[in-house]
Amino acid sequence: MAFPLRWLLICIAWLLAGALYLRPPVISPSGDFAEAPSAVTSGQGAPAFQKTIVNPDQGLPMVHVASLATMSGGMEAAVWYGGSAECAPDVKIYLSESEHGEQWSSPRVIMTRERAEHDLGRPLQSVGNAILISESQGELRLVFVTIAMGRWSGSQLNTSISKNGGITWSPAERMTLSPFFNLSELVRNRAVSLVSGGWCVPIYQEFLGKFPELLWLNENHGHLEYRKSRIAGGCFTFQPSLVPLDAKSALVFLRDYTDNRRVFLGRSDDGGRIWSKPAPTQLPNPDSGISGLKLNDGKLLLAYNDSTSCRDNLALAISNDQGATWKKLVTLEQETGSTFSYPFLSRSSDGSIDLAYTRKKKEIALTRFNDAWIAEALAALSRVEGGGGNHP
Amino acid sequence: MSATLLHTLYAGLAPWLALSLVLIGRNPYLSRTRVIGSLLLAFFLLRIPLGGWPSFAWCRTLEMNPSLTLTGLLCVALWQRLSGKAIFRREDLRATWIFGAIAALTLYPMGLGLTSVDPYTWGWGPAVAIFTAIYSTVLLIRGNRFGIILILALGGSLLHLQESGNFWDALMDPFYGAASLVGCGYLLLKRARSSIGSCNHLDFQRY
Repeated sequence: MAFPLRWLLICIAWLLAGALYLRPPVISPSGDFAEAPSAVTSGQGAPAFQKTIVNPDQGLPMVHVASLATMSGGMEAAVWYGGSAECAPDVKIYLSESEHGEQWSSPRVIMTRERAEHDLGRPLQSVGNAILISESQGELRLVFVTIAMGRWSGSQLNTSISKNGGITWSPAERMTLSPFFNLSELVRNRAVSLVSGGWCVPIYQEFLGKFPELLWLNENHGHLEYRKSRIAGGCFTFQPSLVPLDAKSALVFLRDYTDNRRVFLGRSDDGGRIWSKPAPTQLPNPDSGISGLKLNDGKLLLAYNDSTSCRDNLALAISNDQGATWKKLVTLEQETGSTFSYPFLSRSSDGSIDLAYTRKKKEIALTRFNDAWIAEALAALSRVEGGGGNHP
Repeated sequence: MSATLLHTLYAGLAPWLALSLVLIGRNPYLSRTRVIGSLLLAFFLLRIPLGGWPSFAWCRTLEMNPSLTLTGLLCVALWQRLSGKAIFRREDLRATWIFGAIAALTLYPMGLGLTSVDPYTWGWGPAVAIFTAIYSTVLLIRGNRFGIILILALGGSLLHLQESGNFWDALMDPFYGAASLVGCGYLLLKRARSSIGSCNHLDFQRY
């Protein structure tokens, strides 16, 4: 290589590297959590509890993985997927709306394998888990899984946006989040809003390892910026449920993939940048999904399967000390041989707490209760157990 | 040109170059007809529908972001094949395999969850690009032509040729990583053989 050419190439290399260095940074992998306890407190009224089925007459062989979001105007929206079986080509993502969590509209299809194939310009095997994010300007963002090949380990994450309450959706956009053929990124639990205007979405990978991650999303002048960070590595815990305690501190509840058969808990005090090593809690976990929520009085609520071996029940537990100890509050469902799984806790626009979950893999159930109902259940528990009642 | 079209065109380049190389084959007598025919045939083979999709779409399903390094290396291989001149010398290839192997061993085990550190996230910041510029400078000062391929990765990332905005994807992909590990393994094996050979020679001289 001639001497002047060599130096010219070196100059070009550094000009390009300089341009890449000066390029505006992609969203930071940490931030101030904006999710505050509900301004509307539902704890001052009478205890309220109601249970509804979101999709009573859908008649699909399998429905699964519900998530909720509050749309502009206070309407609640639920999304889930359904079809002949998980990862089957006929699986579709459905959306239903409700004004007060009582009467749900007929489910309508918002994403299919064919639609995703068309938008992304490549063949796919199926669609899967989806969550909704209610953006600040009334837009709804759908973050959903597509499966390129195989089962869940062959999945990728995509996003689409609706500006008319979920009636029409923008073409799906794929996010590249993994270095190995962009394989095996999934979403399941509730996203948390950031002070900066972006979102922190708990995601996870299940390919060679199973581990929890965070997806940091931001819309910048119509351009989607994203990056991810890791909560923990290995093949121990996944499906994180993120619960902010304040702007900088957050807890993450994790599904157990080890023989511990316990719900795991990790903590960050720097806006999600560094996480403690997840440690087992008192609560059992039969390798199943969980969902956590911070209540207005600072207590933590967790929806989980109270078993180390099966999903035949669904229970609520409460912690008064940021997850150190737990009391089982109530068993919401119990039926031997059935499954009640993938709970999703969220706060509705009127301050009530919504819990959506998969009921027997045939229905999406929604339980709505308020803080007064929790206080009453806690008082009843204290009376029965003489003030004790910590989870065994 | 829309970003989606640009990403699609770029993603099609590596499969087209690879398939063209295969079709041209190793025959030393290359006619213009054979070369043009192979390039065109490779293009049309990628358009053949399989299961309702062109075969190229299946390539996209597997790998949407062939690295700029891999694409550059395939360009060099095709150019060498067509011109009959060795553009990449032995030391250039050695640098290619060593860089690819080190990058693959840094990226994939940890990126796929071996530890709580995820090197893939470094690619969203400037660190990997700066390291690449430093390594490229060292190579170019030594007259190593792999440094030029690394410049292509820097330029391609700046031009957003790929669907991914992560610089690691401009630098590495599993195909280049696997080829580098095989290439490095071959280099190590060759070195071990030659050192065993020289030991035997010394032993022979001693006795």
